[in-house]
Amino acid sequence: MRFQRIVQLVLFGCFIFLLWRATYPLPGWVPVDLFVRLDPFVSVSTMIAARTWIGAPAWGFAVLGVSLVVGRFFCGYVCPLGSTIDFSDRFICRPAGRAFRNAGPSQLKSCRWKYLVLVALLCAAVLGVSYTFLLSPLALVTRSYVLVVYPVLLQLGRLGLALTDALSALPGFGWLRYAQIDQVHFGTAFLSMLLFLGILLLGRIQSRFWCRTICPAGALMALFSRRPLLRRNVDAKCTQCGLCIRKCPMGAIKEDPTVTAHGECIVCLKCRDLCPEGAIDFSRPSKPEKSVSLDLGRRRVLAAGASGIAAGLLAIVELDSVHGESSIRIDRRSTLIRPPGAVPEEEFVRRCIGCGECMKVCPTNTLQPVLLEAGVDGLWSPKTHARYAGCEQGCNLCGQVCPTGAIRFLSLEEKKYAKIGSAYIDRSRCIAWEEDRKCLICDEICPYDAIVMRGVRANTNSVPYVNESRCNGCGYCEQKCPVLGNAAIRVSPHGEVRLSSGSYQSHARTYGLVFHAEEGMKEEFVPDEMPEEKQDKGGRSLPPGFIID
Amino acid sequence: MKRRDFLRNSALMAAATVVPSAWADDGSMGTTPYAVLAQGSPSAAVKAAVDGLGGMSRFVKKGDKVVVKPNMSFSNPPSWATTTHPEVVKELVAQCVSSGASRVLVLDNPLKDVELCLEKSGLARACELFPDTSVLGLQDRKFFREIKVPEGVDLKSTRVMKDVLEADVLISAPVAKCHSSAGVSLSMKNLMGVIYDRAVFHWRYDLHTAIVDLCSAVRPHLSVVDATRLLSTRGPGGPGKVIELNTVIASADFVTADALTVSLGEWYGRKFEPGQVKHIRQAHERGLGRMDIGNLDVKKVSA
Repeated sequence: MRFQRIVQLVLFGCFIFLLWRATYPLPGWVPVDLFVRLDPFVSVSTMIAARTWIGAPAWGFAVLGVSLVVGRFFCGYVCPLGSTIDFSDRFICRPAGRAFRNAGPSQLKSCRWKYLVLVALLCAAVLGVSYTFLLSPLALVTRSYVLVVYPVLLQLGRLGLALTDALSALPGFGWLRYAQIDQVHFGTAFLSMLLFLGILLLGRIQSRFWCRTICPAGALMALFSRRPLLRRNVDAKCTQCGLCIRKCPMGAIKEDPTVTAHGECIVCLKCRDLCPEGAIDFSRPSKPEKSVSLDLGRRRVLAAGASGIAAGLLAIVELDSVHGESSIRIDRRSTLIRPPGAVPEEEFVRRCIGCGECMKVCPTNTLQPVLLEAGVDGLWSPKTHARYAGCEQGCNLCGQVCPTGAIRFLSLEEKKYAKIGSAYIDRSRCIAWEEDRKCLICDEICPYDAIVMRGVRANTNSVPYVNESRCNGCGYCEQKCPVLGNAAIRVSPHGEVRLSSGSYQSHARTYGLVFHAEEGMKEEFVPDEMPEEKQDKGGRSLPPGFIID
Repeated sequence: MKRRDFLRNSALMAAATVVPSAWADDGSMGTTPYAVLAQGSPSAAVKAAVDGLGGMSRFVKKGDKVVVKPNMSFSNPPSWATTTHPEVVKELVAQCVSSGASRVLVLDNPLKDVELCLEKSGLARACELFPDTSVLGLQDRKFFREIKVPEGVDLKSTRVMKDVLEADVLISAPVAKCHSSAGVSLSMKNLMGVIYDRAVFHWRYDLHTAIVDLCSAVRPHLSVVDATRLLSTRGPGGPGKVIELNTVIASADFVTADALTVSLGEWYGRKFEPGQVKHIRQAHERGLGRMDIGNLDVKKVSA
């Protein structure tokens, strides 16, 4: 196997390994979001949109720096989307078509598109609208594996377990009986699949069509790889046989096999290994070479920039946009519950790249991708889905894996104070209030002890009340509420605490919020004043659950 | 449940409840009391209580598959009295193992996250050294099988843990605590942890009636109530007032075990009769067991 393939396979294995390990407990020795941090387009676009320096994705700049030396090695060796495309191209790309399409000048023209895509996206970012989620290769591939591939593999595993269940009766296979694979579910999985599949199917047109024509990270690296220190050289042994032209997966070699578009070359070394004359090597060039000009055309660049600005403006004026912090009308109407530690909404949407790391790591599967509720540029950003699952009190994983700081890393103690919303009871739906049933599930599940069961005049059974200053918005009550359909207790963002910096604890202290169940231990049962038929002989109201003898 | 299983279980139950109560009633065979209240440290009290009933070998025979059902539904520390004390469970498991049990499963379908519950309650660690013993929180539907509830008034069928249905012996080992819907959560309410769908008890059925229905189909052979500390207010999740009672109550009759615990404890600062808890009263009236503790041979021991 060729050197590049081996490295590519190993690094793809690393990508999958890190994604798999994005779960509790996180490995301490490596950030599981490492690959996302390496995407230079994420670095540039996110920092422009967020208008601030962000440490973790700054690794992308290092990748650009290395590109000055060895060209677009990232695309050929590191990028998991590139690896996936290489794999799928084996089945999708027509070999005959590849040779035909690699020849001729039209190929190098179409590769201009990616620069225009880059210009457009960066222009939108200048307006504070980040479309990074849409076309950043690392955000896209990570999300696709998280939302599409991972749940399907789990389901396959579950099917396998079900099929082998009978084996558990055999000696030595007893463990199979309790073997369990927890299925995760994600919204927008089908949409994500369509985008992912669409990108792979582009291989039908040309091999690595995405990398040649669309990828904005590829464009960025290509700009830094115009004339890398180590690059493709063809010496006099070349017989102009054209094999390298036909086989180049990127179409980086023009009609003349001695001329290379270095910005397109991903240093896969295939041409060197295939050349029957051994005329190709990758090194510092000894003599001047013919260069390939990159003429985007001023009009095209201007048009791309204008399109980006238009797309940015559209995102800002759209009804569900979160931009415009000055407008209370916009702030007030959001119904999204963001993960604990999420920075204030507008900044959040600017930073979030929709990579899905937080959704993968979330142990309860409450973090779900948003469709359009946060505006077009909030697509695939995370929200908690309380009806489906609660946010675990003793967990801060989402903040640990977020590569762009959209979710802050908070210590477990701090995280307890990061209130994400408040629960309120819909008494007309609550079966304790409305049907006088013996239900206390919201009270017993509440990890913050924010719900109190009280006796009221009208009901035989006790009914729940929410103490809003204790409610963290975790949503366990909403999840477990036995009322079918809309829960009778639901979390709204009301009262959420979103801080870009500073301590949640001190904020909570200032506003009298208490998120420790232990601190409530002094609180005793104080029944309301009850009508006579609900008092015992001593004139006392009954505590919840007991009946008069 | 197959009819044959049901008949066999019923026969076992009849043997476990009717026979000792007959002894107690005529008062002449005072060697085996109907129920025992033992005071002492958790493990000593469990040992004294079970020994007082004739020893674990009366319930667990060699080769039996045993299920111990503690309350490990909450990820709270033992001091909150929302979960069974780890020492209580440990002692029970030890006795089952030394009585020759071929397999001991400590099972619950916890309300909260399984791993956290197993860890924080201390139960996983308490049982880790015993052979052929596992502590498991089962939540996946594949672990449950639907059974009919022939005597059910509200509850006609429900999904029960397969392991419980296949066990030779079921021991209900709850912690003593109040419960803002059921009044108290003891060895009867504890059985809601062996079924798949609990929520339906709250929204479709009368909670108390459904609890009794469930107990009519899944009857524990032995009930050991951990009242080493009792959650007196704000149950079942706590945190509330915890009263140190250093007592363990054991009986083959789960209704009696619960009735004794109710009258022993103080709830929201006051005393209650067993009949003031609707599911205990109903179980008594439906003949599942006896709450008239004044008429029963109840032995008190100190360990």
